[in-house]
Amino acid sequence: MSMSDRDDHQMRAVTDKHTHALRSGFARWPRREAPPPAMGDLRWPADLILATWDQAGTGAPPDGPDAHTHGLSEGGFDRLGFKWLPDGEQFGSATEIDLTIPLNRRPYDPRIEIPVPWYGAGMSYGSVSEQVMLARAKAAKEWGTFTSTGEGGYPDSLFEYKDHVITQVATGMFGVREATLKAGRIIEFKYAQGAKPGLGGHLLGDKATVSVAKMRQSVPWVSLFSPFPFHSVYSVEDHRKHVDWVKTINPKALISIKVSTPTDVDMVAVGSYYAGAHILHIDGSYGGTGAAPEIAKKNIAMPIEYAIPKVHRYLLSEGIRDEITVMASGGIRTAHDIAKAIALGADGVILGTSELVAMGCTRCSNCERGRGCPFGLTTTDPELSLLIDPVWGAERVSNLYSAFAQELSTILRRLGLPKVGDLRGRTDLLTYLPHDVGVNHVHQG
Amino acid sequence: MTYKRYHIPVAPAPNSAPHPRRFNVNVSKIGLASLLVREIFHYRGDMSTVLSRPCMYGVFSGPVGGFAPRPDNCVGCLRCTVQYPDMVRVEPNSDRLELGDSYFTPDNVDTVLYEAATGRVPVKGAGYRGRYGGPGWDGMWTDMSEIVRPTRDGIHGREFISTQIDIGERPAWLSFDEEGGLDGDPWQVIRLPLPMLFDRLPDSLLSGGWEAALLDAAGSLETLAIVPWKALREMSSAPSALVPLVAPAEIDHLLEAAWRPRMVEIEGWDAGAFARLGAAWPECVVAVRLPFGDPIDEPLASGCRTLHFVADYHGRTSSGFVLESIREVHDALVARGVREQTTLIGSGGLTAAEHVPKAIIAGLDAVALDTPLLIALQGRFRGECRTAESCKVEMPNVDRAWAKQRLINLMGSWRDQMLEILGAMGIREVRRLRGEVGRAMFQADLEKEAFGEIEGYVHV
Repeated sequence: MSMSDRDDHQMRAVTDKHTHALRSGFARWPRREAPPPAMGDLRWPADLILATWDQAGTGAPPDGPDAHTHGLSEGGFDRLGFKWLPDGEQFGSATEIDLTIPLNRRPYDPRIEIPVPWYGAGMSYGSVSEQVMLARAKAAKEWGTFTSTGEGGYPDSLFEYKDHVITQVATGMFGVREATLKAGRIIEFKYAQGAKPGLGGHLLGDKATVSVAKMRQSVPWVSLFSPFPFHSVYSVEDHRKHVDWVKTINPKALISIKVSTPTDVDMVAVGSYYAGAHILHIDGSYGGTGAAPEIAKKNIAMPIEYAIPKVHRYLLSEGIRDEITVMASGGIRTAHDIAKAIALGADGVILGTSELVAMGCTRCSNCERGRGCPFGLTTTDPELSLLIDPVWGAERVSNLYSAFAQELSTILRRLGLPKVGDLRGRTDLLTYLPHDVGVNHVHQG
Repeated sequence: MTYKRYHIPVAPAPNSAPHPRRFNVNVSKIGLASLLVREIFHYRGDMSTVLSRPCMYGVFSGPVGGFAPRPDNCVGCLRCTVQYPDMVRVEPNSDRLELGDSYFTPDNVDTVLYEAATGRVPVKGAGYRGRYGGPGWDGMWTDMSEIVRPTRDGIHGREFISTQIDIGERPAWLSFDEEGGLDGDPWQVIRLPLPMLFDRLPDSLLSGGWEAALLDAAGSLETLAIVPWKALREMSSAPSALVPLVAPAEIDHLLEAAWRPRMVEIEGWDAGAFARLGAAWPECVVAVRLPFGDPIDEPLASGCRTLHFVADYHGRTSSGFVLESIREVHDALVARGVREQTTLIGSGGLTAAEHVPKAIIAGLDAVALDTPLLIALQGRFRGECRTAESCKVEMPNVDRAWAKQRLINLMGSWRDQMLEILGAMGIREVRRLRGEVGRAMFQADLEKEAFGEIEGYVHV
């Protein structure tokens, strides 16, 4: 056995030991009496993290307490409940619910529908490992939905899943090549990100490994701060030129525009429509990130719950609401959040952090430092990234999707709606929970 | 005039006094011994695999691994406890609850200590973890622009965003004589490269030598430090950063000093004291320090154009919270048609980098910082730290150079964070941020607009 073979064997043995113990922990913790005392935060309380692990293990919504439905942030989705129909008027469990949404509402270009009202958010190679990207792509393929490359390039291994992978074009233009633009059925222009609106992507030096740098055509171990904004875009017309450029290379692609949530997000939505977008992706300020200044996460731009109705109503008043698909992201944690986002006016949502939690994320916020994530998620460290086997990861994400689909169907049955599209903009089916009552006590499960 | 780019010389200045770690790590020694025995058999003596530890931060990296963990290294990732639920327990360290007070929270203290130690902008992974909006500063978001940037050169490159402000009276317009020269008296302004001053120390720290560190740092930063008169009596010369704070009764003593400061602040409104000081030292900017809510008409009528309003250390004012009080006084100055000629400085309740741009958006020209300076120097509050008169702070025994660097680092970090906000908004100088509430979003307004039609909605 050569030294290299011995090293590989050793690494496999160590990886096997730790993956076995980790997977055992993911299964055991949701069933223990109390969560780990240092786990969780107001957005993602420990019980919600554990409930997500449970759903990722079983593929079904948890029985019992409603910890899997909300967080404890005291605002936004956590301040909203549903107005259920009386028991006798709700649909029975045998009633089939249609969760399909169209991604192209224009009268031209390919019709693309997804069977569940969500797809996966952009997470770049570098911010996450290739294994994680593959796991998400496999799950997207299984469910007939999509995942996005993020801005770090397009690893070769993803081409097998290209019909379910959105090619993201961001300001750093990392990995944007003719081949990757041609591969995507959807091309996503990332103007801004909710967690760091008005700032470019951040990849700190320790995570810019040799392979990441090669993919991004940059220098290893040097931090990458993507520019902001697109240096060739000063107007809607400039953006239209970008769209034309992509459509010249890939005429069949649908165009998604990812923006953050400034005061004039409604105007941005209209501008995106007139620039030719099929999908408007609004990313709220409490969204996920692999690295962002803390001041930006908390303070710049509005949370998604406020942006959705603002955009929805303005598009309605402009008479173009049914010509563009609005996808919302930035703090969608549960099936209940998905339903609330749609009731506020979105067509569907985009999931990021919840998929990582399904694969074991504890929300410890150490993604950016050193070798990256100790669970092998937000890392490209060759040893740590082996903790995620793409097949296992895909199963976890897929199970979460299954649990979300079941829960969302239950919500629609209780509201008496046969199709998820019927929920869009139905704020009359929501209730605003009183401030003087603890939110966790008033969520109707 | 030669252009010189403003630069804050940050440098590492690690904590000098012990700081409570974030987590405690407890390992069951019996459980660990039993696991080791099982693994030795399972892995047939492959000790590299057996001894491979579930921590990449070195908590179990000591010579006896988990038998003597190193909790100071723990970052709370929880991998060890996830892998071994029955054997490892990671808990938040309850000693941290003693940091700061009910307003200056332990997390807030940690952030300021990081900023003072490194001079860097705190950057972390994962999304926001806190409460949704909230009272006070937390119920306010700043705007961003999808396509507008002050310049296109990048915030970490050549992009220039000015944080320069003027303190003092600015004329509403310029007039010129027949020769084309400026007509009338020259106006007195002090030009500062950043909108952050140092406010007076609490009474319990006066004359403890801490003023020297503040003045050192303020001088290096080219800003100002406000120092009560009783801490200055023995001073033989005035550093350029010095702003004496005097009670009206102390003005005679001040005028006897052998030195002349660029700016003086009078405690409370006293028309006679203001007139006397202005007449004796016409080249000096004379500011008046008032609690938020005090009337402004008389000072304005007397020609006072530099107002320093103060809330308590928790941001409380006679009418509520400092954010609203700033908006009130700013609006009052606008209504009286003197906003452009007046400098508005504010203090109290500003404990995080984000509070500075928010306070400026609400209407301040500059802030004068108080408790964050104490925390940066690793001061520990003893009880609630509410007012300069009552606040008790235990300060570590440190040297002056270290203290100076810590304050410089804090300002470097806070200025950089302000640049992040300004850059995201597409604003290229901080003076344009003042009073720009249209480029801010307030939770009460957003909530009403978004949720107002939803059953049960209550406007808060």
